Amino acid sequence: MNKVCCGPGYASPIEAINAPREKLLYTIAIYTGTGIQKPDYLATVDVDPDSPTYSQVIHRLEMPGIGDELHHMGWNACSSCHDDSSMSRKYLILPGVRSNNLHIVDTATDPKAPRLYKVIEGAEIKSKADLSGPHTVHCLGSEIIISFLGNAKGEAPGGYLQLDKEFNIIGRWENSMGGIKFGYDFWYQPRHNVMVSSEWAAPNTFMPGFDLEEVGHLKYGRELHFWDFEKREPVESFYLGEDGLVPLEVKFHHNPDSTHGFCGAALSTNVIHWWKNSDGKWQWEKIIDIENEMHPEWPIPLPGVMSAILVSMDDKYLYLNNWLHGDMRQYDISDPHNPVLTGQVYMGGLLGKSPKVNGVEVAGGPQMFQLSLDGKRLYVTTSLFSTWDNQFYPDIREKGGVMLQIDCDPENGGMKVNPNFMINFGKEPNGPSRCHEARYPGGDCTSDIWL
Amino acid sequence: MTKYKVTITNRDNVEYEVDAKRPILDELRNQGVDLPYGCKYGGCITCAAKLTSGDVDQKRQVALNNWQLDNGYVILCVARAKSDITLEIGTESHYKLYRNPFLEPLKSYQLKADIASKEDI
Ligand code: FES
Repeated sequence: MNKVCCGPGYASPIEAINAPREKLLYTIAIYTGTGIQKPDYLATVDVDPDSPTYSQVIHRLEMPGIGDELHHMGWNACSSCHDDSSMSRKYLILPGVRSNNLHIVDTATDPKAPRLYKVIEGAEIKSKADLSGPHTVHCLGSEIIISFLGNAKGEAPGGYLQLDKEFNIIGRWENSMGGIKFGYDFWYQPRHNVMVSSEWAAPNTFMPGFDLEEVGHLKYGRELHFWDFEKREPVESFYLGEDGLVPLEVKFHHNPDSTHGFCGAALSTNVIHWWKNSDGKWQWEKIIDIENEMHPEWPIPLPGVMSAILVSMDDKYLYLNNWLHGDMRQYDISDPHNPVLTGQVYMGGLLGKSPKVNGVEVAGGPQMFQLSLDGKRLYVTTSLFSTWDNQFYPDIREKGGVMLQIDCDPENGGMKVNPNFMINFGKEPNGPSRCHEARYPGGDCTSDIWL
Repeated sequence: MTKYKVTITNRDNVEYEVDAKRPILDELRNQGVDLPYGCKYGGCITCAAKLTSGDVDQKRQVALNNWQLDNGYVILCVARAKSDITLEIGTESHYKLYRNPFLEPLKSYQLKADIASKEDI
C-alpha cells in the first residue's frame, strides 16, 4: 500500500474502487444543543465484520471545549497529491460550526485512536479573516480551503479560509465573492479550471433553526455559482428559482475529465444537473423532482428535504436522502440527463413508514451518508443539525442518532438495510448523542479529487 | 456599578448578582453556572434561556424571532439585566423555543424583527 513513490490516495477512481475494504470509519457525534454539557467528539466505528467489536464505537476523541457543533470534516491531503511522496493523509480537520474552532486530528499515528494535534481558535479566524460558520473542507494540493458561511458577525456570504499544510492561516482564498449572497458547499474539477459553490443561508439565519417564511423573504439561497478556479473568483451564476430552493451539496463526477456535476436542492427536494455543452457553455437542468407528501395532520405539504447527495466512485449511481420523508434512494445516472430510480429504503422519517430498524426506534431520518469505495456499503446517519433536529424530531434528545448500513448492489442496482449493523448513539456512555458525517481513513467517495 | 439579582428557578432558586453592564452569560459563568453557548454574539440560539420575570436589554440578539421573544426567551450571551430577573436555564427551558414550521407556520408578525410585518401586534 505505502509504496515509496506514492503520496496519499489512489492514482485514479478505478484504483480507488479496487482498494481494500474499509475496516474503520470516523463519524462526529454531538452533544451541542442536546442538553448534555459534554464536548462533541470524533467516534471511531469498527466496520470489519470479522472483528469482535464489529458494529461498535471503539474510541471517542473528545474536543477540548463544549458547544462546537461538529458537522462536516475533511482531509489534509487526498488523491490530488498522489504523486507527491512528501504528502500523506494524516490529519482530519473538524470544524465547529458554532464555536468556529478548527480541530486538527491525527488519525495516522493510531488509526483506531485518533488524537488531537492542534486547534485553530475561532477567535483567531475571526480576527485574521473575518469569517465564521465553517462548513466544507477540501485540500488543494499542499493547501487546504474551507468554506465559511458568514463574516465574524454571522452575516452572509462569508468566504473561504486558506490554510497552509502546517495549518497556519494564510488568509482568504478567494479574490472576490462577486455577487454571491450565500455560501455552503463547493467542489472543484481542476482539468476544467472550475469550482462550483452552493448556498445555504447566513449563520444568523440557519443556526437558530428553520422558518419556512424566511425562505420567501430570501434569507435562504437559490443559486449555484461557477468559479474560475485559478483566478479564484466567480464568473457565472445560475438562478435556480423555485426548482432550486436551498441548494446544498455539490458533487462533480469523480472522473476528472467529466464536466457533469450535481446539486441537491434541499427544500425543493430536486437534483440539479450541470455540464458543459459542445459550445463550451455551462448548462443546467432539473433531473429529479421528489414530490411533497401530505402528512395526515399537518396543514402544509411536507417536502423531502434532500440535505445530501453522493456519487459512487464509478459515477454510475447517485444517492440521495429525504430527511423528512424518511427514505434513502439510489438512482442510476449512467445517462446523467435521465436518472432511473433503482433502489429505495425507509428508516425513520415523519411519515411513519419505518419507525423501527433492526430493533431500534429511529428518531430523525436518513441524513448524511458515506459509500464504500467499491460502492457496496452505504453508512447512513440520522441527525441534521442540532437546532433543526430539535424542531422536526424533538425525541432525538432522548433517543440520540443512529448509524445504519445499507447494502447496495452496484451491478444491478438495489439497496437493503443490513440486518447485522446498527450503532445506537442513544446508548453512548455520556448519554444520547447524534452522529453526522462519516469518513474512512483511506479516503472516501466525498473527499478525493484527481488533478 | 449597578448590580441586579438573578434567580434561577430550575436550579433550586439559587441567586446570583450580575453587573448591569455585562452579558448575563459571562456573569453567571464566572460564578460557576454551567451554561451552554456557541457563537457568543447573539446569532446562534445555543445560550437561550427563558425569562420568567424582570427586564433585560437584548437589542444585539439576532437569533430569536418575535414568536420566541413573545414566549419570553432571552439570549444570555448578549443580554444585560435591567432589573432583578428570574430565569429558567439550559435546554429544559427550551420547550417553547423550537417548533416544526410545517406543523405550526408562523404569522408574518411572528417572524424575526427585520422581516416581520407590523400588523396584529
Ligand atoms: S452563544 Fe450564540 S446566541 Fe448566544
